[in-house]
Amino acid sequence: MRALLGVILSCCLGLAQAAAPTRIAVIDWGLTETLLGLGVAPLAVAQTSGYRRWVVEPALPDTTVDLGLRVEPNLELLARLKPELILITPQFEASRAQLERIAPVKSLAIYSEEQEAYLGAQRVTRELGQLLQREGQAETLIARVDQALLHVATRLATRPQAPVFVMTFLDARHVRLFGRSSIYQGVLDRVGLRNAWQGHTNYWGFTQQGIDRLAAEPEARLLYLEPLPPGVERNLAASALWQQLPAVRDGRLTPLPPVWSFNGLLAAERFAMLLDQHLGGVHE
Amino acid sequence: MNEARLPLSGNLATTPSRRSSPASLTLGLLMLAGLLALILLAQRLPPALWMQAAWQPAADDMPQLVFHFSLLPRLLMALLCGAILALAGTLMQQVLRNPLASPTTLGVASGAQLGLLVATLWAPWLLDLGREWVALVGGALATALVFALAWRRGLAPLTLILAGLVVTLYLSALNTSLMLIQQQDMNAVFIWGSGSLSQNSWQGLQFLLPRLAVVLLLLAPLLRPLALLELDDNGARSLGVPLRSLRLITLALAVYLAAAVVSTVGVIGFIGLAAPALVRLLGARRFNQRLLWSPLLGAGLLSCTDLGIQLLAGPLAELLPTGAATALLGAPLLLWLLPRLNLPAGQPAARSQVLAPRRDRPLPLLLALFAAFLVATGLALAIGQGVDGWDWRVSDAQLFDWRWPRVMAAAAAGCMLALAGCLIQRLTGNPMASPEVLGISAGAAMGLIALLFLLPVSTLALQLGLGGLGAGLTLLLIVAISHRSGFAPERVLLIGISITALFDALQVILLAGGDPRGQNLLSWMSGSTYFVGPGQALGVGFCSIVLLLAALPLCRWLELLPLGDGSSRSLGVPLVRSRMLLLGLAALLTAGATLVIGPLSFIGLLAPHLARLLGLVRARSQLLGAALLGALVMVLADWLGRNLLFPAQLPAGLLASLVGGAYFMLCLRRH
Repeated sequence: MRALLGVILSCCLGLAQAAAPTRIAVIDWGLTETLLGLGVAPLAVAQTSGYRRWVVEPALPDTTVDLGLRVEPNLELLARLKPELILITPQFEASRAQLERIAPVKSLAIYSEEQEAYLGAQRVTRELGQLLQREGQAETLIARVDQALLHVATRLATRPQAPVFVMTFLDARHVRLFGRSSIYQGVLDRVGLRNAWQGHTNYWGFTQQGIDRLAAEPEARLLYLEPLPPGVERNLAASALWQQLPAVRDGRLTPLPPVWSFNGLLAAERFAMLLDQHLGGVHE
Repeated sequence: MNEARLPLSGNLATTPSRRSSPASLTLGLLMLAGLLALILLAQRLPPALWMQAAWQPAADDMPQLVFHFSLLPRLLMALLCGAILALAGTLMQQVLRNPLASPTTLGVASGAQLGLLVATLWAPWLLDLGREWVALVGGALATALVFALAWRRGLAPLTLILAGLVVTLYLSALNTSLMLIQQQDMNAVFIWGSGSLSQNSWQGLQFLLPRLAVVLLLLAPLLRPLALLELDDNGARSLGVPLRSLRLITLALAVYLAAAVVSTVGVIGFIGLAAPALVRLLGARRFNQRLLWSPLLGAGLLSCTDLGIQLLAGPLAELLPTGAATALLGAPLLLWLLPRLNLPAGQPAARSQVLAPRRDRPLPLLLALFAAFLVATGLALAIGQGVDGWDWRVSDAQLFDWRWPRVMAAAAAGCMLALAGCLIQRLTGNPMASPEVLGISAGAAMGLIALLFLLPVSTLALQLGLGGLGAGLTLLLIVAISHRSGFAPERVLLIGISITALFDALQVILLAGGDPRGQNLLSWMSGSTYFVGPGQALGVGFCSIVLLLAALPLCRWLELLPLGDGSSRSLGVPLVRSRMLLLGLAALLTAGATLVIGPLSFIGLLAPHLARLLGLVRARSQLLGAALLGALVMVLADWLGRNLLFPAQLPAGLLASLVGGAYFMLCLRRH
């Protein structure tokens, strides 16, 4: 009897699972990344070429249809693909009325005013797990990333670590500094590194500053994400001020491979791994 | 374009009270700059260390290094760039006899910007040779194009400034579309485009100073003949001034100066327009006076702005690019000055040649245009692309539901912009006028941007509400400032341009801040029909027809007003009332169109010209022809935008300005 009940129950669950949407269109790259992290391949994504160039990992399947620009996903094309669910972020709320004519629209926000991005990414992973009836995978993913960060923290803790600036170059005179409410801040906090930039940041967790600001913390290490914009390397070599920055003079300068700075848990995990690789072996 | 007026340089000159002179403002600004500089430097480094830091900074003392490699060069750079831009503007205004001419009017800035953008995307190795040279080549090419367009007319000032404006708009549209598609790569260009004076070495000064010296040497023998350009063309010619070569050489030097600045610190537009105009308004009537005071005023304006920004510092310091801030501060300054100055009322002035023969029986042409419009609409509804490529579907109801609102909105917006353009061009007697220049589009756009950045969620109703509010407020501002002068055309145009500059600055700041929401802004700004639903499409369609019908009875005024104030009044036109009505109508038309397809209203400039080129010269036939042409071009542009880079959707306004602008340049050159 109990065995029979078990069979019936699993049948019901199976049915329920079949009812979860599988044809999913995604307008935002952070949600695309999270979706792939839950083991679901999206039907269509906006700007697939941009995703492949800037986000890179996790890789997007070749079968995913390109919907065009993120601000204006192609409605005719999307309607013909007949998705069961469309995922957006509040940034694309303006398209909602149009998108709802095609399929139910769900808006999920990794970045918000109330919550740091890392917690936001966890929350969105759970919400997406519930929506797709993949709560198990969601919890596994969250636990895995937490675990990875913890692991990196213990490895970094074996030696004293200087505070770090996390930045991308805009040109030879300006950088984006990532701070409060960026996904990187969440990682730095959890692996035990201090962010050298404590100042104001925007909604997405960064601020644009001239490179002389980097002198404010002479002890800090400079972590910059590749790729550098064209011409910047040459101009930095010619920049007297850059050459005189304490971190540059003392060689506390660490390039990191590309990470998409506006994504979720997988970007956090990737960033933590890169920190481990590049700072784990550094002797101060 | 036969009623187009080329103001003589004395036209904007004032009859100022005896007390006012450019000296007091200029010296005041320079003293303020000195004071601000002392405050800023003292904040960053104790005065006792200044001498050491200036000449021999200690290698391990960061504040001294910043003082030496960043603060000092930036201060000098601001002074130098302000002076050079003002000098370039003075020369251009003198040569073109147009108080609205500036380095940006000739396409230097957008040409240089496009050059950098193209190099960044497709030939990054060029940037390794030096950003300066890439920008210089782009700026020079754009200017060459402007000259080529105006060459056959002997570089007549009016044709030249018109060509410059068209090229500028065209290149900006190209810039925008590249940024739209490749946004992630473009952040550096955004910063540069918004004019950042921040320095890390003395390189920039070492680049600019020798170039300025060479230009000044070349300029010296030209000063006397240039001063004679105060006279009109015939007068100057009779004194033996070789007009064409004098203009060409002077312009080339001015463009070179502007390109050199632009390539070093980016687009700092307002100084080149504002400094010479202010100096003139403050009573410098002679060229030599302006040549002395403009660069000083320019230096004062730019350095005060830049120092102010640095002192505000904190999070704002790098978010507020100096080039954009000059416009932000300069525009209100101009708005404040205008009503205080005694600008002469409109009068008929030198006229350029008629572009096309007048058509006496316009009806067959209008009918042909209408037929073309219907055919284009049909094709735009039926032909498109899907998952499997091109298809032709007449009976697919679902597809039709997606397409008709966009087509209708595009047509209505094109029609309204064209009408607004006709009204404004006839009203101001200035072929450079368009809804964009009037600033109404900018006002509507500012309302929408406020919504985008202040509230986390945006709905269509909110967008409509705030956009309309912005347009209405702008109209009220224009009315309030200009009603004392009886809506003198130059004044309204200047106000409009100031408001547009204000808006441009705001937009540049927002984009340069690197906020990812900027891309939404960019897409709307470029004139997209993407967000139009059925209700809105019907609404604007209805609006466009009602407003067209409202405009037709006003054609008599539109015929008479360009003749000048005196003639109009004697023919029984109530000047103030007629202008109020026409301005109000133009504002309504612009606001309606802007809410749908954004403020990029190239159509408002283009369609009236096209109608005129086809021989539709009288007000009624020009209005009707322009309305049809505007709708036609917009429908085609919308269709192209939906299919050119499928699945990516390019905004219709952008395509319209690319397609229409190219055609317009051809026409300009042919005639």
